[in-house]
Amino acid sequence: MAAEPAERQSEQALLSVDGISSGYGSARILQNLSFAVERHEILAIVGRNGVGKTTLMKTLIGLLRLMDGTIEFKGESIGRFRPSRRAHRGIAYVPQGRGIFNRMSVTENLVLGQGLGGIGRKADFDRVYRFFPRLKERGSQKAGSMSGGEQQQLAIGRVLVGQPELILLDEPSEGIQPNIVQEIGQIIRRLTEQEDLTVIIVEQNLELIHSVADRCMVMDKGTIIAHLTPDEIADEEVAKRYLAIA
Amino acid sequence: METVSIIFSFIYQYADNIGFLLLAAVGLIIIFGMMGVINMAHGELMMIGAYITAFAYHAGVPAPIAIIFAGIGSGLAGIVLERLVIRFFYRQLLSSLVVTWGISLVLTEGFLLIFGPSILNVPTPFGSFGVGELTFGIYRLVLFGVALLLIGLIWALFSYTRFGARARATMENPEMAEAFGINTSRMYALTFGLGSALGGIAGGMFALTATISPFFGVNYTLFAFITVVVGGGANVITGVTTSAAALAGAQTIVNNAWSVYVGYVSMMLAAFLILLILPRGISEYLERRKIRVAKKNG
Ligand SMILES: Nc1ncnc2c1ncn2[C@@H]1O[C@H](COP(=O)(O)OP(=O)(O)O)[C@@H](O)[C@H]1O
Ligand SMILES: [Mg+2]
Repeated sequence: MAAEPAERQSEQALLSVDGISSGYGSARILQNLSFAVERHEILAIVGRNGVGKTTLMKTLIGLLRLMDGTIEFKGESIGRFRPSRRAHRGIAYVPQGRGIFNRMSVTENLVLGQGLGGIGRKADFDRVYRFFPRLKERGSQKAGSMSGGEQQQLAIGRVLVGQPELILLDEPSEGIQPNIVQEIGQIIRRLTEQEDLTVIIVEQNLELIHSVADRCMVMDKGTIIAHLTPDEIADEEVAKRYLAIA
Repeated sequence: METVSIIFSFIYQYADNIGFLLLAAVGLIIIFGMMGVINMAHGELMMIGAYITAFAYHAGVPAPIAIIFAGIGSGLAGIVLERLVIRFFYRQLLSSLVVTWGISLVLTEGFLLIFGPSILNVPTPFGSFGVGELTFGIYRLVLFGVALLLIGLIWALFSYTRFGARARATMENPEMAEAFGINTSRMYALTFGLGSALGGIAGGMFALTATISPFFGVNYTLFAFITVVVGGGANVITGVTTSAAALAGAQTIVNNAWSVYVGYVSMMLAAFLILLILPRGISEYLERRKIRVAKKNG
């Protein structure tokens, strides 16, 4: 009973999504969607606006109800768990628009990150401050009064506090200066190489994807229509075909 | 009459009126002020606290402990209410208004049916003291002190504890709070229970000064809502305290010049005028001013 399940787990995907459907009310946005992510991987998801990328992220964290299919995380079926329970299992969600608690201070936002990964894990604020020194300087400031770039640093920094195993990142580069985008990209890269961290990132910024992702999936009409390498996504012809980007 | 005793009488009445408003509002600060839940049965949760206090007292329990029982009893009643009914009506203003109003009627009529129109009162403790020719009850000042103490405790709990931060996160953005590992459904039940428990303690405190009947709660619901609404949601604690100070001020001045009835009318009028000028309450104005001053200074 001791060694065998752990061994099996290491061979298995960290997250496997099988035939899921979900959406809003009775409207199905995701249809029979399947994929898997390995440990330490950075998986990028691309697709035009409105194809269901955010819907997929919300379904993975549990803010939208699973209508069909299964989601397995570390070998456990979590598709019916409420979001807080998935968070305790080690999944972190950085939503599109960042989801900062505006009325709370920067430090309070960071402290809430301790709620991730379950009880008993030690929060590592210093590591987060090393990546994002501004968050220490601005500790007592109301989070809502910071700039967009600082808020994105806070959004990522506060999930790192809880040391999650899987981070769901929805369009982190949206509305942010290019130099901060690059900085965030490098930090994500470093974290997955050095620590037990896996990332699923939804992005429109193909440059960022090319510099961080190991693998890329293209979504259309609520399902996955292609798997690409980062080099393929950097190819203008390919991008034009899948993303209608001129 | 001596000037000293007149001045003291005025201050005493002012403290008494503030204490009344704050104690009536103390549970609703959390339930309505922070969670934004309309609970028209707030006064009935206080009424339950008053009954528990009276029964415990007459069974030989000392009054302070009877009041703690009241807090526990009303808190549990609040959690049951939240789980069975309230939770289905979050963010539905009109439905929650009607439903909780219904609950308040059911509780009132239910208590009338079971316990009759009134029960044995609890004597007011501590006696009185004199200033000049006038005498004053000590317990009224205790009410005022307890009201300030409870408000201070709520403020400390929500500002400085881990539970407080998690509760505020839930109230600001429940979806993100869930994503950060907070079981928001449980958090709503807990905070509602906490507000109900505070209401129960307030009810128990008032039980020592008032006639205990099934209709005990009606007045409190009204004054609690007025105090919290006039205070506004930008900063609930400073809002409620400034609002109680302003409304009790109007009431006390007019009370002395005319009569108790005109005193109540003037308090309503003051609430009406404040909301006309500051539709989002006093605290909204205070927060805006704070930001303006901060900008000017740096
Ligand atoms: N709250 C909602 N209620 C109903 N439909 C929604 C809601 N949010 C998004 N949708 C619809 O779901 C589809 C996918 O949206 P979304 O997942 O946000 O797309 P993306 O993130 O890929 O731009 C769109 O057609 C959108 O109109
Ligand atoms: Mg989106």
